[in-house]
Amino acid sequence: MIVPLTVQVFLYGLVTALATGLGAVPFAFVRSISPKAVAQAHAVAAGLMLGASFGLVAEGTSYGSWQTMAGVVVGVVFILLVEKVLRHQNVGFVRARGAGARRMLLVMIVMTVHSFAEGIAVGVSFGGGMTLALVIVVAIAVHNVPEGVAISAVLRPEGVGVWRCAGWSIVSSLPQPLMAVPAFLLVETFSRVLPFGIGFAAGAMIFMVFEEILPQAYDHERRHPVAVTVTVTLVAMLVFQQYL
Amino acid sequence: MVRVLDPTLLVLLYSTVAAATSALGAVPLLWQARPSARWIGWSNALAAGLMLGAAYALMVGGLPRIPWSGVAGALLGVIFVNRVHMASGTADLDLNRLGETGPEYGYQVLLVHILHAAAEGVAIGVAMTVSLPFGVFMALAIAVHNVPEGMVLAVILTARGVRVRDAAMLAVATNVSQILLAIVVFALASAAPSLLPWALGFAVGALVYLVMAELLPECYRQAGRTSIAVVTFVAMGIVILLLEVGG
Repeated sequence: MIVPLTVQVFLYGLVTALATGLGAVPFAFVRSISPKAVAQAHAVAAGLMLGASFGLVAEGTSYGSWQTMAGVVVGVVFILLVEKVLRHQNVGFVRARGAGARRMLLVMIVMTVHSFAEGIAVGVSFGGGMTLALVIVVAIAVHNVPEGVAISAVLRPEGVGVWRCAGWSIVSSLPQPLMAVPAFLLVETFSRVLPFGIGFAAGAMIFMVFEEILPQAYDHERRHPVAVTVTVTLVAMLVFQQYL
Repeated sequence: MVRVLDPTLLVLLYSTVAAATSALGAVPLLWQARPSARWIGWSNALAAGLMLGAAYALMVGGLPRIPWSGVAGALLGVIFVNRVHMASGTADLDLNRLGETGPEYGYQVLLVHILHAAAEGVAIGVAMTVSLPFGVFMALAIAVHNVPEGMVLAVILTARGVRVRDAAMLAVATNVSQILLAIVVFALASAAPSLLPWALGFAVGALVYLVMAELLPECYRQAGRTSIAVVTFVAMGIVILLLEVGG
């Protein structure tokens, strides 16, 4: 059976998106959600996102420094605009309302938008040849798991069930297969957009960490336990990206 | 002219400059004796962003790949700062308490600043070992970082009755540990290159930890989250931009 290349790329992208759902797994083992656990979950999310963003900035600047930095600035402006819109609305997300719902929605928006850039990266890397396809798929799939952890870490404390956390994590990664196909078909065009997209994703994530995630961690836990978790997860994420 | 200097003297020179800039932090106090809480918060955020940018520089600019000894070094950095805070009873210390006049509080704040500066010294020493331009970049980043940090310390000290001139001097004095560590780490890592990843990891772990444990928690109580995020982000972005575009 011969599957057209574009379909293959789409399916590979889908597999990596599904892997994001695995990020909810650790939360199946956490029974009670005390305020301290909420804080630690946010600290984990902050460390993972900062580590991922540092990796993205380093990768983006290897393609083009200025485009990456332009992407970063646009990413921050995007977050500020989204927040402005959300602030004046009574948003609901799953069953939550108010500040919690706003934070969850923001995390979902940022992580979903960030998946567009990742999808482009997937498509462009397949454009280099399908010989390494399996390696790339496994690498990106594994790399998506901590992103699922970050999303679940914000959703689960608000009372979202483990299965739903997995579902939302996968939803946040759906742009990956969708963007991988056009990026694969138009490698030339998309590889020029890539550093901008990477910068955008990194800028949006870092800003969200400072504005929403970290204050949430400090609200319910003392500073040193938060600092330990953030620093260790940040370093772990950097190492994780390097050895995959 | 600089090229003829001995490398160790260069490290001494640059780390001394970085330490001395703390005094500049006290200058605004000559006009405004007590800045508002928001300004203190923004100064902390500025210091936090510059320090994170320095940590990023060490992570991506130090070594092509983080070896496992680097990871072990980072964990050591985290453990060291954490343990020292716990042992000295400064773990839950609010570092920006303006009304506090007890002598113990003053000594604790000075101790925290001395240890904080020591970690920065490791960062400068490591960067100098990697290459001279990278070391100069790191020393300048820390020098700029020391200005807002010096301001916050000077505000605390002057609120306790210390004169502005003495506060500036004390701010510089707490940074002597930075000069010493920069030279020691440079000498050690130059003589034994296998120590470099350990020291590099240590600096990264300690810098990120200090931002998360000392600088950012204070900020969020002093000014709004959005303004803190903007200041931190812009400060960090400028360091990364200079590193990636310039280097």
